[in-house]
Amino acid sequence: MIVEIEIDGKLINANTGEMVIAVTDREGISVPRFCYHKKLSISASCRMCLVDVEGAPKPQPACSTPVAEGMKIHTQNEKAIASQKAVMEFLLINHPLDCPICDQGGECELQDVAIEYGSDVSRFSEGKRIVAPSDIGPLIQTDMTRCIHCTRCVRFGSEIAGIMEMGATGRGEELKIEPFLAEGITSELSGNMIDVCPVGALTSKPFRYELRSWQMSSVENIARHDLVGSNLYAQTYKGNVKRVVSGDNDAVNETWISDRDRFSYEGLTHENRLLFPQIKVEGQWKEVEWDVALDFAIKGLNNNILNSRNLAKLGGLASNTATIEELHLMQKLLREMGCENIDHRLNVKDLNNTMHLKSTIKLIELESVDHALVIGANLRLEQPMINHRLRKAQLSGANITTLNVKDFDFNYKVDSHITSPNEIANTLAGVLKTLIDKTKQEFPEYLSDVIPSEHSVTLANNLLEANNSVLILGEHLINNAQASSISNLTAEIAKLTNSSTLNLTATANSLGAQQVNFMPNSQGMNANEMLDADMRAFILLDIYPEYDFHHSAAALNALSSDDVFVISLNSFGSELVSQYSDVMLPMAAMFETSGTHMNINGKAQSFRASVGAPGEAKPAWKILKVLADLLELPSFHYENSTQVMSEVAHQSIQTHEYDASIDLSKQTVTLETIWMHSPYQSDVLLRHAKSLNASQIGQMNTASMSVTTAQSLSLNNKDTYLGVPVEIDSIMADQCVFVNSNQATNAGGSQ
Amino acid sequence: MFNGIKKIVNMLTLSELRSGMKITAKELVNTKITVQYPEEKTPISPRFRGLHALRRYPNGEERCIACKLCEAVCPANAITIESEMREDGTRRTTQYDIDLFKCIFCGFCEEACPVDAIVETQIFEYAFESRDGSIMTKDRLLEVGDNNEQAISKARSEDSKYR
Repeated sequence: MIVEIEIDGKLINANTGEMVIAVTDREGISVPRFCYHKKLSISASCRMCLVDVEGAPKPQPACSTPVAEGMKIHTQNEKAIASQKAVMEFLLINHPLDCPICDQGGECELQDVAIEYGSDVSRFSEGKRIVAPSDIGPLIQTDMTRCIHCTRCVRFGSEIAGIMEMGATGRGEELKIEPFLAEGITSELSGNMIDVCPVGALTSKPFRYELRSWQMSSVENIARHDLVGSNLYAQTYKGNVKRVVSGDNDAVNETWISDRDRFSYEGLTHENRLLFPQIKVEGQWKEVEWDVALDFAIKGLNNNILNSRNLAKLGGLASNTATIEELHLMQKLLREMGCENIDHRLNVKDLNNTMHLKSTIKLIELESVDHALVIGANLRLEQPMINHRLRKAQLSGANITTLNVKDFDFNYKVDSHITSPNEIANTLAGVLKTLIDKTKQEFPEYLSDVIPSEHSVTLANNLLEANNSVLILGEHLINNAQASSISNLTAEIAKLTNSSTLNLTATANSLGAQQVNFMPNSQGMNANEMLDADMRAFILLDIYPEYDFHHSAAALNALSSDDVFVISLNSFGSELVSQYSDVMLPMAAMFETSGTHMNINGKAQSFRASVGAPGEAKPAWKILKVLADLLELPSFHYENSTQVMSEVAHQSIQTHEYDASIDLSKQTVTLETIWMHSPYQSDVLLRHAKSLNASQIGQMNTASMSVTTAQSLSLNNKDTYLGVPVEIDSIMADQCVFVNSNQATNAGGSQ
Repeated sequence: MFNGIKKIVNMLTLSELRSGMKITAKELVNTKITVQYPEEKTPISPRFRGLHALRRYPNGEERCIACKLCEAVCPANAITIESEMREDGTRRTTQYDIDLFKCIFCGFCEEACPVDAIVETQIFEYAFESRDGSIMTKDRLLEVGDNNEQAISKARSEDSKYR
């Protein structure tokens, strides 16, 4: 319902139930505040937003006063200003005057408001309160003496991050905001506390004492570490990204970003960056000019492939973090040469058995589901922003069921079903059978032998009770022996129950790669086939085999062979890359190139380069364009990446035929190893981000297994499994090991 | 008519010459104010804005805390500061340069400084023979401060009652 109110003599329409401050914000009327934040609950603890409401004996806080018909509000009259000034004086009693050394100086809400409402001279001559600082981890610096007890960080922890790690202890003068536990802050969204803190109590630790906010320019960019594509601002100074803060986009990331999006920029200045083109002459690396390196690359391609027209022996592989432009130019380059061996799916064990479920739900709609079935995902760490949406749904009453190998730590209530990887397909088949049973339809043949388990019946009932449910497939299933069947069963269940689906196995920019058809067609070889095909040349885009390939040992073998000519475009140098490559071309990393990222909703978000690439490194799309020119391929006339993208946009999308059959009889392995990189190791930039890797999540390195599995492998808590310390978990499915590691996969890749 | 007569009388009595000679005669006996620079120097106001210096606390710790307010306020963009966390956890500059070619000696840096670290001294006799001599680095600024601390603090205290 709409009511009419009057603010400062202006008639304004407002919705009933709205708080006064929401209306003034919308109307552009400035009301000072510290504790109010549009995405957090109302605490009305700072009292800075006091306004005069006619008829009320005392000034009212605008953040917690709902509007009512005929309300007359004055934000600037004598009474309002006097009360705001009085509150300001109280707040400044204990706030130290250390603005000159405070990192918040220049972007501090308290500083801004104090200029308007503060007095020149303090009437307070007693001693100020001092709070000892506490070390809460490598990401956030605390200076709690500066805290004004707005409790935004506490509310952020309990309401958004879902772990109440910061809290208020003590009362009155003794009141302190501090972490409850000695481990400090471990949340995967913790960096947002820096953004919400109105003063300098919580600031960015890696950024400490480096720059003032006015020295940097803020450039919009898109995070490419996951499939959400969070909007953010890269704050740059003298050609370097110095800090990242979140951007607002309600359809993507609201106003939050995950820690890996916020702190990954640290990797950009790592000493491992590849800065100059290098060629390998008689086994020795030599730094050369670009034209020499490119000529060398073309000569190598000519010798090994083009002179003998042996294009079936050329392969092109790219990392799924590449931009759409890079992927498009690379596949165009290869296809115009006549090569069909193109792939980006490097971490998949069996490419004939893949997850290809379509995602049909928008991120914002995830908040309003009333039931979600999460299969094979540790959402909190793997997809923090999607987990955040699902958490909102759960808090408003949704029922979240998980089907996982382990009882993962969700920051909301879930109904957890522990299932071993080779049981998942059967469980889903049981769900499908139960569902079909209820509708009294004919069973398809593959379900005839299925006897629904207790799990299956519960899951089916949950789905039937819900009106708006979503089925989420996670990354743990990528290498499941029955991946394709699981994907198809999920699609069937979704069809039958009218559910939406979300496929999280297409991480980073995989959807972008599919959009530009960065996959082999029927004549080409896929990534795994290429590794066994005795190739003569490879073009690789930002690939680090020890982390990127599932079959990393086979990949190293295939690439290291003497008669293979390998052109590597890399943003970072690595020992293995220099071992097998013949030319290394330095390319721009995230933040350094313009491009486009496609998120899980198919939303293509373009971004510009925030900073230039270091040394001689160039954006990969330019390198690929010049390579194409040197190979004398026509139609590579691009002046900027926007032209590449508009070509992509005008292209029809090739649809791939996937095997829709469901075969439950497929032989399953007796011991399945699910190898997940720790969240801060999932791409090369993250692996070089110092502070992230020093944090608790970055240090994760465990191989979890059940007691039975450990016994059958004769391992105990002190042993290692594939080089990863064993952790015996009492609540875990048998016949599988769940590895969450910050190590390279070369130890376990061939499993 | 009247003016013409007055003019003639003045001319005949040499009155203009006499009034000029009166001043000459007075100055013959008066004390001289000519200063024999460089042997002699004129007194300088404590507010004089000459060469810059960075000061230290009596315990030898540099005052500057890298707040960068002087850099921000400088109308000529003459100041360049880089900062980081020193090993003891304090906020310190790693670079503090003033380009004397750019500086217009307005004294805003001095006024912006919350810890009286950057000051303009009463030194006005400085010259450099190479172009890069115009850059006052942190070391040179601290040296100026160290060598002139007495004069600087004297000037500050003289001026303090007017601040």
